[in-house]
Amino acid sequence: MVAAADSDGALAGKGGAVTVRAPVPLFRKPSVLPGFGLTLGFTLSYLGFIVLVPLAALIFRSSGLGWSGFWSAVTTPRVLAAFEVSFGLSFAAALTNAIFGFLVAWVLVRYDFPGKRLVDALVDLPFALPTAVAGIALSALYAPNGWLGKPLNELFGMKVAFTPLGIAIALTFIGLPFVVRTVQPILQDLPAEEEEAAASLGASRFQTFRSVILPAILPALVTGFALSFARGVGEYGSVIFIAGNMPGLTEILPLLIVIKLEQYDYAGAAAVGTAMLGVSFVMLLILNLLQQWMRSRHAR
Amino acid sequence: MAIQVSGITKRFNDFTALDSVDLEVKSGELLALLGPSGSGKTTLLRIMAGLESPDGGGLLLNGEEALGLKPRDRQVGFVFQHYALFRHMTVFDNVAFGLKVRPRGERPGSAEIKRRVTELLELVQLSPFAGRYPAQLSGGQRQRVALARALAIEPKVLLLDEPFGALDAKVRKELRRWLRKLHDDIHITSVFVTHDQEEALELADRVVVMNQGRIEQIGTPAEVYDHPASAFVYEFLGQVNRFDCTVEGGIARVGDGALAIPTQGGVQGPAVAYVRPHDLGVTPASAGPARISGIHVVGPDARIDIDLAGLSLEAEMDRERLATLGIAAGDRCAIHIDRARVFAR
Repeated sequence: MVAAADSDGALAGKGGAVTVRAPVPLFRKPSVLPGFGLTLGFTLSYLGFIVLVPLAALIFRSSGLGWSGFWSAVTTPRVLAAFEVSFGLSFAAALTNAIFGFLVAWVLVRYDFPGKRLVDALVDLPFALPTAVAGIALSALYAPNGWLGKPLNELFGMKVAFTPLGIAIALTFIGLPFVVRTVQPILQDLPAEEEEAAASLGASRFQTFRSVILPAILPALVTGFALSFARGVGEYGSVIFIAGNMPGLTEILPLLIVIKLEQYDYAGAAAVGTAMLGVSFVMLLILNLLQQWMRSRHAR
Repeated sequence: MAIQVSGITKRFNDFTALDSVDLEVKSGELLALLGPSGSGKTTLLRIMAGLESPDGGGLLLNGEEALGLKPRDRQVGFVFQHYALFRHMTVFDNVAFGLKVRPRGERPGSAEIKRRVTELLELVQLSPFAGRYPAQLSGGQRQRVALARALAIEPKVLLLDEPFGALDAKVRKELRRWLRKLHDDIHITSVFVTHDQEEALELADRVVVMNQGRIEQIGTPAEVYDHPASAFVYEFLGQVNRFDCTVEGGIARVGDGALAIPTQGGVQGPAVAYVRPHDLGVTPASAGPARISGIHVVGPDARIDIDLAGLSLEAEMDRERLATLGIAAGDRCAIHIDRARVFAR
């Protein structure tokens, strides 16, 4: 429809007598690729059904409390502490993953060693494992009498299971593949010539890394970080076993919601969920904008 | 600064990229490494820059042993075929990179860096583009940025790997002239790699023709073109007609006597004779042994395809001469050869 109007305009212009300017289509650059209307319509309705409707229901559910009821439901000390635990530890875990996931990706891309394929496959294991299984394994391992928990406790006096550290370890475990899998392909496509150019211009390995390699992979690294972070905030299964779930100390938001549901406090659960949604949305939005800004610096 | 390469050998698995190569680059000259792909020319250049290490041999930069030096310590400017500009840096930052990464004691101040970069951007005629990113420039502009970036570190040697390879024909010609002029102005010892014989012959002071990891010939453009040392060099430098022949008493006979070519030099027996298209004369003759199978006019020149008893030949002449001959496709003709080079088979 829009395309037809385009070509009509062009024909009239060719006639020479009158200049008819083709109507500028809304939101759309002239293109030969077909299916704009269909794909846009499908995308919007699909996103609407799959994402927006459930989220709207959540907000609707919590709106029954009224503004003051909502506010008092999400600002109790217990909920605030859970916010701190969930977002703080997810952030720490995502940061850990950004650093060490990058190292794993670097080694997998840059070096050849026996068993490389196996290591590469191992990276995906946290994806494939049911999270509850991971949680049981981790808590058995880090419990005060576990393989790792016992020596850590005896040698360093460190308690891992049933502490915030334990939660951070579980979140790091499940978030690792996100960073590795987003950084790996970018690192793979990085032209060796840019590094060679930096070397011949007198840059040390560290200078080359900091000013040539890192800026090129930073957008991917931020994506991996964001995915790992978002996964951590929503994680339930692997955390509840190792966390100990002490209110105000090692209780995560998803667990708090489950507890509220078990107490038939549906509106309260929805309120916490809505607040969680809001914070996550804002953080992911900031990360996305940051990324866009980084990309725009060289992809123009 | 002079470069001395002695007995450099490099193997990649079973493939011998360089087979004991000796070469001397004189101070201040512009040298071309010319050869087909796989001849080892790029590998040799990368070894000079320290981006590749040889399996054996020696390399002297200005009389000093250089193989133990890292690329960053060799004071060599390297220009890549695909520019290898830093995508996330502006043109200015790209050129300034080599100065900014110097150790604290040797690093010029930011005002001095700005002055030097501005000067270099003027030299490569890109001053208005200092704030742009590489993606916003054309290929020719990018290559000039790469050149300015390489020159910024005040290298003793400039090494260029197929510097015009990724550019279109017109830009390539312009940039080639410009580089020649730049070299005449700053006289930096330069080595460039190319597979384009026209580029090598036009641009270089001396040409090194390489084939299969060895040097076939070193000489001025006129020397290698007029006195090719081997059949390979003759065939590689421009169009040729090739005849399998037998030489007896100074006469090369082609096939069953369809053509007799006078030769010089002491070659006897089975041989290969080469004739450049512009040395192949054509005269109209209704009972001639050859037939004109096609005429292609390319700009001011005409290329004539000739069929001589099943042998495809090519002649070249200017259009005026073609007009005076008055020949057309399908005519029969006689051919005569003014000059041929004969190599023993």
